[in-house]
Amino acid sequence: MNHIVYMSRAVRPLSDQDLQELLDQCRRDNARHNVTGVLFYSHGNIAQLIEGDPSIIEPLFERIARDGRHSHVTKLVDKPIPGRSFSNWSMAFHPLESEGFTALEGFLLPNQVPPTPETLTIADALLVDLVRQAVFGANTPTTPSPNLA
Amino acid sequence: MHDHQLQSILRHMPAGIATLLGPELRYGFVNEAMQALLGGHTPTGEPLAEHRGGLAADLLEVMQQVYLSGRPYVAKAYPFASSDPELPNATATKRYFDLALEPLHDENDQPQGLLLFAVDVTGQEEARQRAHELSLETRRLDARLRVLTETAPQITFTVDAEGQYEYVSPQWYYFTGQPPTADLNAIWPLLIHPDDRLRALYHADAARAAGVGWSFEYRLRRHDGQYRWMLSRALPELHAPDKPVFWHGAVTEVHDQRELSEVLRRGEAELRFLADSIPQLIWTATAEGFIDYYNQHTGDYTGLSAQELGPTGWVALLDSSEQAAAARRWVHSVASGDDYEGLYRMRRHDGQYRWHIIRARQLADSRGLRWFGACTDVDDQHRLREVLQTQYDELARTNRDLDTFVYTASHDLKQPLFNLRGLFEELRRTATFQDPEQEQLLAMVDEALSQLDGTLQELAATVQDQRELAAPTENLDLRSVLEEVLLGLRTQVQEVKATIDLELSAAPTLVYGRANLRSVLHNLLSNALKFADPNRPAHVQIISSISEAGQPQLTVQDNGVGMELRQDPATFFQLFERQNPQVPGAGVGLYLVQRILDSRGGHLEVTSTVGQGTTFTVHWFE
Repeated sequence: MNHIVYMSRAVRPLSDQDLQELLDQCRRDNARHNVTGVLFYSHGNIAQLIEGDPSIIEPLFERIARDGRHSHVTKLVDKPIPGRSFSNWSMAFHPLESEGFTALEGFLLPNQVPPTPETLTIADALLVDLVRQAVFGANTPTTPSPNLA
Repeated sequence: MHDHQLQSILRHMPAGIATLLGPELRYGFVNEAMQALLGGHTPTGEPLAEHRGGLAADLLEVMQQVYLSGRPYVAKAYPFASSDPELPNATATKRYFDLALEPLHDENDQPQGLLLFAVDVTGQEEARQRAHELSLETRRLDARLRVLTETAPQITFTVDAEGQYEYVSPQWYYFTGQPPTADLNAIWPLLIHPDDRLRALYHADAARAAGVGWSFEYRLRRHDGQYRWMLSRALPELHAPDKPVFWHGAVTEVHDQRELSEVLRRGEAELRFLADSIPQLIWTATAEGFIDYYNQHTGDYTGLSAQELGPTGWVALLDSSEQAAAARRWVHSVASGDDYEGLYRMRRHDGQYRWHIIRARQLADSRGLRWFGACTDVDDQHRLREVLQTQYDELARTNRDLDTFVYTASHDLKQPLFNLRGLFEELRRTATFQDPEQEQLLAMVDEALSQLDGTLQELAATVQDQRELAAPTENLDLRSVLEEVLLGLRTQVQEVKATIDLELSAAPTLVYGRANLRSVLHNLLSNALKFADPNRPAHVQIISSISEAGQPQLTVQDNGVGMELRQDPATFFQLFERQNPQVPGAGVGLYLVQRILDSRGGHLEVTSTVGQGTTFTVHWFE
């Protein structure tokens, strides 16, 4: 079991529809391949953590890195982990029109992102908290990781 | 019949034909095309001059000339404004005709008239005019290109497939300082830096052979003899479907950029070398807070590579109880830009934890935001401090033990003293002495016993008060504390029949430790009562006021016996030092007052005149 964390910049701002399509596509593909994790998006900033079998997520990351919708893909960490910290795959962003989204499965408003799971090591929890801060900015109220509390 | 057929053909010919007869040039035969050209109205036998339609005056004159001279004339591309009477406002479109004027002669060779023959050449004329405009435009573009290539700060050139220079812009001459007559093909290679020559020539030759463009850098000698780095770029001009015949390109000076980037590279390498040479953990982090560089020493200390440490792995090196707080603080610093600073234990490669000060600061410049951090090993200092702290604690404990011992001893001695006094009283009551100095001796023993008692009491008080020096302060009402103290001293007050005046309105309250204030007042008042002059009723004045510096002060003035003051104020009130040997006391009181005032930043002043009295001024805080 490995996890990969990366950050990137969207080539152009993603519309609500883009985001919803991305959510649908990733939910479907990730569920099929048993990939879990979380994606943060705001104002063109993207960060994602994926966890799963290295034989699945390594090629998945290669595909993600080649995706023309974003650039400046920076892999921050890629290493073995003792077990999953996320039970499914979800996505957190600010839609322009939030009505249609709140009921969607796997969708979260940035301020609803649950605390960084305790199963992560403190170094990894710090990493996730830093990427979340980098994507959503320091002023979005988020629940800090209980590891760091 | 034949003639009629001919006339019909002429009438419908696409060229204009007309005959003009006689010196007046009267309309003769006019076919349809000519009729349209002349404006439609050509009454036969009428002079042309009277119905000339669209015919210009100058043409009419030329016709008359031709008639008179008998010499034919052809007007090339003569413009006619097509005048359509049906559309008077329509844009007049110009049409062009080749107009042949041929004199007609009769059998006797006498001028008979003119034959007019007009062929529409509008198409040719317009094509010619377009071609003319095109050539003007081409000349203009060519001039622009030339100005551009010759003003750009670059050398531009054209070279053919054999490598012979077809064109080089004047900048080449300015740059190299070569005369315009210089043989480019011979000179240019000689001006290339000897170390770069072969490489540059090979690159260009290889590119030409392959039919592709090139881009390489080399040093070229400037007019002043200095070699400057140049970037040469060229692209082939393809003449399909054959091989390229020319390469067009530009040579740009990139010396400064190259030098600058070289300096930057060198500067960065030097900084990195410096960072790697320092026996401290040095690192840098991105604006988001991810560490992207650890110096050599970090690897040596932790035994981990930068890869293994990763962007946040440093936190795992700290003692596990400190990791969460350190991570939280770092998230906060990254968010706010505040400096990061903390004292942490960091694990060495051998598992030993050593104390480090971790410091990081944000640098914002044109290259964006970055963090620079250092972890300084302060383990030795930290351990030294711990040792000192332990020693200090030990000393403080010893001191306390001593105090306790003194207190306990003074307390324990009280009982035997009490017993001694009781026995002595009993002895005096029951025994009789034959000594004539009996009374005097008894009084001396009594006094010695009292003195011993007083000393023991004061010793106990000193120890007790010492403990209260650091007591918390509160806002105290001076009058109530004074009354409390006077209540405790009422026996002494009655003994000397003392009058006590309180004048506290100027500064009625004081922020001070309660026990300390009581102790100071008790000692000063008991002192004033103790040294009362037996020849007059005692009078003690207590005044609370504000000093010139704005601080509270207290004056205790008595009319007692007074004393001789020594010069050296530093040794003024030492422990067990007696100012007045005639008066009983342990000598502890004023020492204690001094100690208390000292501990709160204040001091005690005294003035005294023997036989008149003593005044103590307490400066509480100055």
